[in-house]
Amino acid sequence: MSVLVVDDEAQIRRVVRNALAGIAGRVLEASSAREGLDLAASAMPTLVILDLGLPDGDGLDVCRALRAFSSAPLIVLSARHSDRDKVALLDAGADDYITKPFSTLELQARVRAQLRRATPADAKVDRLAIDNLEIDLAHRVVLRDGSEVHLTPTEWGLLRSFVAHRGQTMTHQQLFRDVWGRVEGDAQQYLRVYVGQLRRKLERDPVRPRLIRTEPAVGYRFDPEQ
Amino acid sequence: MSATDASRARLWLRWLLVLGVAAVLLLLLRSRLNEAHVALVFLLVVLGGSSVGGRRLGIVLAGAAFLLFDLIFLPPYYTLQLADPFDWIVLLAFLVTGIVAAQLLERQRHEAEVATARATEIDRLATLGAETLNAPRPEDALHAIADVIRQTMHVDRCEIEIGGTESAEMTDVSTISEAPLPARTLRLPLAIRGVRVGTLNLASGRPFLLSRDQQRVLGALSYYAALGVERRRSAGAQEEAEALRRADRLKDALIASLSHDLRTPLTTIKGIANEIARGGDQQKAHVIEEESDRLAALVDDLLDLSQLTAGQMGVAPALNTADDVIGAALQRVEFLLQDRVVETSLGSDWAQLVGRFDFIHTMRILTNLLENAAKYAPPASPIMIRAWREGEWLYIAVEDGGAGIPVEEREQVFESFVRGARVAKETRGTGLGLAIARQLAQVQGGRLAYEPSEAVHGRFVLRLPAADVSLE
Repeated sequence: MSVLVVDDEAQIRRVVRNALAGIAGRVLEASSAREGLDLAASAMPTLVILDLGLPDGDGLDVCRALRAFSSAPLIVLSARHSDRDKVALLDAGADDYITKPFSTLELQARVRAQLRRATPADAKVDRLAIDNLEIDLAHRVVLRDGSEVHLTPTEWGLLRSFVAHRGQTMTHQQLFRDVWGRVEGDAQQYLRVYVGQLRRKLERDPVRPRLIRTEPAVGYRFDPEQ
Repeated sequence: MSATDASRARLWLRWLLVLGVAAVLLLLLRSRLNEAHVALVFLLVVLGGSSVGGRRLGIVLAGAAFLLFDLIFLPPYYTLQLADPFDWIVLLAFLVTGIVAAQLLERQRHEAEVATARATEIDRLATLGAETLNAPRPEDALHAIADVIRQTMHVDRCEIEIGGTESAEMTDVSTISEAPLPARTLRLPLAIRGVRVGTLNLASGRPFLLSRDQQRVLGALSYYAALGVERRRSAGAQEEAEALRRADRLKDALIASLSHDLRTPLTTIKGIANEIARGGDQQKAHVIEEESDRLAALVDDLLDLSQLTAGQMGVAPALNTADDVIGAALQRVEFLLQDRVVETSLGSDWAQLVGRFDFIHTMRILTNLLENAAKYAPPASPIMIRAWREGEWLYIAVEDGGAGIPVEEREQVFESFVRGARVAKETRGTGLGLAIARQLAQVQGGRLAYEPSEAVHGRFVLRLPAADVSLE
């Protein structure tokens, strides 16, 4: 298992390398977009960590270029104050993003989640048991503390999408496309209201959600392991 | 009207009586008098009458005296005929003298009246001038001028409009004729040295009827109104200068804050990094992380503030729910609040708590309020977050068990780099949180205010535009 780190700052590459010791078997380093893309194509890493502020390439373009030949999980490193850019990145194929300055623990957690998702055996799940919840997607049944919870068709669509992409940040756009099967629509603006409804049915405290986490300005992340 | 008519009739009767008495007295002495005596006595009566009763009484008296002179004192007596044709000269000379004297007296009296009216007018203008210059506030001066114009011109309403553009409906005072104007409103331009500064609006229940004199007074009063407007304008310019001075003070405070608030964490970072280099320590590594986060937060604050001040902060309003944004804010300040009790009260009707607002900005406002509550309220007191709906507005309140803000600091705390006087020196903060929060509320059509209640002193209320949704 190998991880490719693309960042022009040696200090950041060092921080990432040290953080991933023990998680990734081998850490490859690149200091420019060109070098990173070359290495991604030749070494086929299991996971890619990409800094947005590379001197020789726009983050969005690098993302798309990488996605053209690789389906490896892609975590983007970004400076704050570009919350709205992150949405575009995730829509362009990035799987997750981490804001600088980040803690070692946070980086490790995100990398673990992505690696787990990339492992084929774990890819498709029909049944999930979390805490007091039992979710059976195949039979369309959700039990909370043993009693059935009624979900509307939209809420089912949302839950299905969340479970399929668990551990992964879904942009509003991606969720909408997944649930409604369209790119644009009136219901899109109601997405946050539907998520609120679903939380009230599944979460112990909907104001402090443990399952469906909000990624401000970006979307939502269904994260049963946290 | 009838009262003055009656008193005028009495006056005329009195003077005709005087003339009669004079005629009777002269008649008693007729044998010893010549025409000159009679003419002089009658002339005295005519002059007396016209000086008291005016020209018309004078002329009537002169006419009556003329008849009496002819009938009683010029032979043949008691006929209009005259024995000596030269007596006609005496009689006509008497009549002409009487009438001319009455005319002269009348003119004199009119001039005296005009002089008195002018003196009153000058007195009023002087008073108005003094009021205009001495009124403590320029607005008061404008009100005083408007009042005087209303009373002097006998109109129902007088407004002084500041600024305003030229338009066709404007009337020039000098073009108003003495005939009644059909319009019941007048708009007069106010100008100083040919530069237009405002408009005088007059409205009356009756058609306007302005004499030449009133027009002149109106012209003078308009000039005072123009001066008043000008004074109001220069006061505005002073306010602008004051705003610039405030901006300057803000800049100084910014530099002071930067040099202090950036240096402190940097010093810590350097010191502890050095210690760690000498022998590894988890605890110290944690402090380094915290200090770095503080620095990053300060830099973010400064960037936000400069964007807000420059009016360049982007806003992305969307349908969002109160619970989602409150949850995200709580998640973001989890570390700060881990030892505190935070309660939420959102009522039972969740569907109501939907608004059209910018999620990131609103989360930022709430995290700033929560950070403040964590910093300034006693650690044992719970923090309460409430959300409710009132008509077109969605409200989110953050309440803490602190002492609140003293009255004199309630608006200041929303200014940049201002921190409460009672805040302990060791409590860390840049004094930017509330300033940023308030401006973030404003850029998305909301409002942030400090609104203590009787029971809760530390209470901030955020108001955002609400939205109505109906789902499946």
